[in-house]
Amino acid sequence: MEDKFDCIVIGGGVAGLAAAITLARNNMKFLLIERGEFAGAKNVSGGVLWGHDLAKLVPNYWEEEDAGWERYINHRRLTFMDEQSTFSLDFKSKHFNETPYSGVVVLRSKFDNWLSGKLQEAIDASDYAMDSFIATNIKVDQVLMENGKAIGIKTGEDEFHADSVIIAEGVNNLLTRQVGLQDNYVPADHMLTGIKEVIRFDQQVLEDRFQLNGLSGMSNEYVGWATDGVEGGGFLYTNRDTISLGLVLGIKDLREKKKSPHDLLNHFKTHPTVADAIKGGEIVEYSAHVVSSGDSRAMPKELYKDGILIAGEAANLLMNAGKAIQGMDYAMRSGILAAETIVTAKAKNDFSSTTLKEYRKALDDSYVMKDINNFQDAVHLLHTDTMQNKVPNLVCDFGRQFFTIKNEPTPKSEKMLLGAIKKHASLWELLKLGFKARKSL
Amino acid sequence: MSSILTYIAISEGKIKRSSLEVLSRSKAIADANGLACEAIIIDENASSFTDSVQNYGASKIHIVEDSIFSQHRNTPLLSALSKVMEASKPKVVAFASTEGTKDILGALAANQKAGVVADVSSFDLTSSGVIAKRPVMAAKVVGNVEVTGETILVSVRSGSYELVESPITAEVNTIEFSSSESDLKAKLREIISATGDTIDLNEAETIVAAGRGVKDEEAKSLITELARVLNAGIGASRALTEAGVYDPSLQIGQTGKVVSPQLYIAVGISGAIQHVAGMANSKVIVAINKDADAPIFEVADYGIVGDLYKVLPPFIEELKKLKS
Amino acid sequence: MKFYVCIKMVPDVYAPFQIKDGELIMDADRMVLNAYDASAVEEALVLSEKHGGEVEVVCIGSAKASETIRKALAMGADKGSHIVTTGDEGFDSGSYANILTAFLKDKEYDVLSLGKQSQDTDSGLTGSMVAELLHLPYTTNAVGLEIENGNLIVKRQGDTGQEIIELPTPCAVTCSNDMNEPRIPNLKGIMASKRKPIDTIDLASLGISESDLSPNSKVVSFEHKPARKAGQKFEGEADEIAREVAQLLDTEANVI
Repeated sequence: MEDKFDCIVIGGGVAGLAAAITLARNNMKFLLIERGEFAGAKNVSGGVLWGHDLAKLVPNYWEEEDAGWERYINHRRLTFMDEQSTFSLDFKSKHFNETPYSGVVVLRSKFDNWLSGKLQEAIDASDYAMDSFIATNIKVDQVLMENGKAIGIKTGEDEFHADSVIIAEGVNNLLTRQVGLQDNYVPADHMLTGIKEVIRFDQQVLEDRFQLNGLSGMSNEYVGWATDGVEGGGFLYTNRDTISLGLVLGIKDLREKKKSPHDLLNHFKTHPTVADAIKGGEIVEYSAHVVSSGDSRAMPKELYKDGILIAGEAANLLMNAGKAIQGMDYAMRSGILAAETIVTAKAKNDFSSTTLKEYRKALDDSYVMKDINNFQDAVHLLHTDTMQNKVPNLVCDFGRQFFTIKNEPTPKSEKMLLGAIKKHASLWELLKLGFKARKSL
Repeated sequence: MSSILTYIAISEGKIKRSSLEVLSRSKAIADANGLACEAIIIDENASSFTDSVQNYGASKIHIVEDSIFSQHRNTPLLSALSKVMEASKPKVVAFASTEGTKDILGALAANQKAGVVADVSSFDLTSSGVIAKRPVMAAKVVGNVEVTGETILVSVRSGSYELVESPITAEVNTIEFSSSESDLKAKLREIISATGDTIDLNEAETIVAAGRGVKDEEAKSLITELARVLNAGIGASRALTEAGVYDPSLQIGQTGKVVSPQLYIAVGISGAIQHVAGMANSKVIVAINKDADAPIFEVADYGIVGDLYKVLPPFIEELKKLKS
Repeated sequence: MKFYVCIKMVPDVYAPFQIKDGELIMDADRMVLNAYDASAVEEALVLSEKHGGEVEVVCIGSAKASETIRKALAMGADKGSHIVTTGDEGFDSGSYANILTAFLKDKEYDVLSLGKQSQDTDSGLTGSMVAELLHLPYTTNAVGLEIENGNLIVKRQGDTGQEIIELPTPCAVTCSNDMNEPRIPNLKGIMASKRKPIDTIDLASLGISESDLSPNSKVVSFEHKPARKAGQKFEGEADEIAREVAQLLDTEANVI
């Protein structure tokens, strides 16, 4: 068949674009279909893209002026919060300034659009410059199956055929469910809602306020009072001349506690530490979207099938184990691995699961599944009441005593700490927590 | 003496108020810069309007009278304007930004090799030409534009300037013009006046505008009743004209009509920026909307948060009492 | 019928932007096919599908503007011409009209169609300028087009109603976005567009140098539009607040 593609990639997010760039570089004939008007159009999120995979897809991206990313991370902070205080673990290091960077802050609508430009360049340089396409504003209605094997896709009345399909459709993975790789029902306790404001400053004010230098940036995560008792956490990332400030909240817990994400974000912004950070800024964007919690129980039953691979958030590859919110890097790596598997399949001329299962193996052998599997306990730990409420309160209480100098005898730190522990939790509870943490991290 | 020439638009036998607003502005600029303030009327009964026009300070009024001008036709209008411009060599020609003006402004600029700036919200003369403000980027931003040229054409959005009377006895200059229907390449077959005998929105003192909230005949009849009580013109948001609820000629907004009545009552209109761009020059804005967060309330002088079915009947009843 | 449709690549006016020291800075480099031009393309396609014919689009702009031409080709236009400029930020309506005139003067066509204005600048001048420079009968602000006996019948939204105008060909018309809902290219269209021809033409071959195009008008700065202040907001019992506002309109605002 003349018009048959080697592969159809569904979704122009990080996973889909990474897959397509990899396909183009390997001279494959493919079609990338994005539902939005342009890549990134449907994406309101933003955050940190961790790791070095971007440098593999776009070598020396840091040399490009006005590239699609905002700032590189050289300053990280984890903040415990109670009503009046914040107590932070703060790490800034020169080694973060080396390229390739270990993390870049991105705003997805801009980043995805930029990355799709890189994809077009890769297509133009490939053997299939005239035959591979990026098609935007197209909704895929169905993955076409024949004898249990994917043979293409259907959009509107039109059918398009391919040897393989990479589904990288994102968190709302309807096609993944349609092809039977995920149950229709994903429990609400595996889903989070992300809510974010982009707040603009004069660039100089922003750089002075957060001690940024050139394109350096900082990421800050918050636990405790930020979410007013709802499971989740807060974040602040510095972009070029804006910050992204927001919360990630458990949907089930929100429902049970009858709280609205919008009200909670306003609550978060009233904290004196946050209020100081955003003073004088102008809100230029507000958005909310659903993300998965990174609980491996929410993952699809399998990530491959005859002619089909699932990548990125459609595969629920996402994790917040307390150290960082990871998702975009997993999406990128899974996209690359999926495409590499397709390249192998093409060489063997076998797109059945016999070859495609290599994708699952490659993913299992990569840091993505290793981390997801190894840090499940940490994910659960982070979402316990102790971590969410007691520890932040305790730490802040201790901080208040430790850092407050009164003109009176100061108790020993140990006594302060014990006092704080007694007030907010029990020593036994903390010992248990410490033990679990040591094991899970 | 060099001059600033204002085109007086006549529509259905009446002077468009917006052209007199522009004339008022031209008069102020002429006085400040030592220019003559002149006007031009092109209509089948052009001479009958000179009294009203001299009332706004035009010291010389050019008249082009021919039956061809009974309706808007771009070719003869262009010829007449070109002829007057060539004869009087004005520094600036100012227009009200009507659909008639929009139809010929670019062509006239090209024909006369004039500088041009369209649809401004304010303008002034500088040593090198004209400086003007105009809304751009879907009316989210104002652009400051500098225009140069021996002659510069400017069209002005309705409601940008107040009417200022400054009576004077004008010299009337009748310009010979003959054009017959057969000279026209384009043929005007007919004009479908969808608005019937309702009030012209550009001229209306009061406008009642309906938005998405006006969903059914009941709501529509409340709008009609409110307009009747206030002797108001009826307008609509793009959502409603697109849905066919009201005629497209009634659309108010950046891509429709720009209006500037004394009183604007927005019923069930959320207040998208494109709509607001078409009515923000109104003197007093009343908004009726059940969504308390609707952006229309940010521009309304009086905002009524409530269901239009519940708000309009007592509102109309109270207005009736006040009117009687 | 042969249609030439002049199209323009414009910044997405719905994309976020900021004003800094009088300069307008778009946050993202997001360029789109001008919505009014999309309506012009759509109408030309509908008429050529109905009466037979050919639709060619012409676009002035930087290399990136080829994406805009592709969009029109994906909608169904047969052919594109790309008049490449190094940058067109400084161009005004007159500059565009002069280039289009130079390009079109020796071309054969029945209908020259353009969007009535650009979404970003809303000037609405280029269409009638080109018509005048090419000595074409024309009309503007079309909300409907039809072909009858080789003539173009335009429904124009005028000041007092809809004018029905008959234009002999060749003629020019500018289109309102109220006339249709431009089709969103489907996948087949997108794929076909890649194989459709786009001629690239430089200004020199049209006998124009960019310095000849020095515009008469230029935007010297941008500013935020003056905000209208929000007034009083009335919430509560509908009957009560409705009557209260009605009275205030009489006693306070004095507009009844």
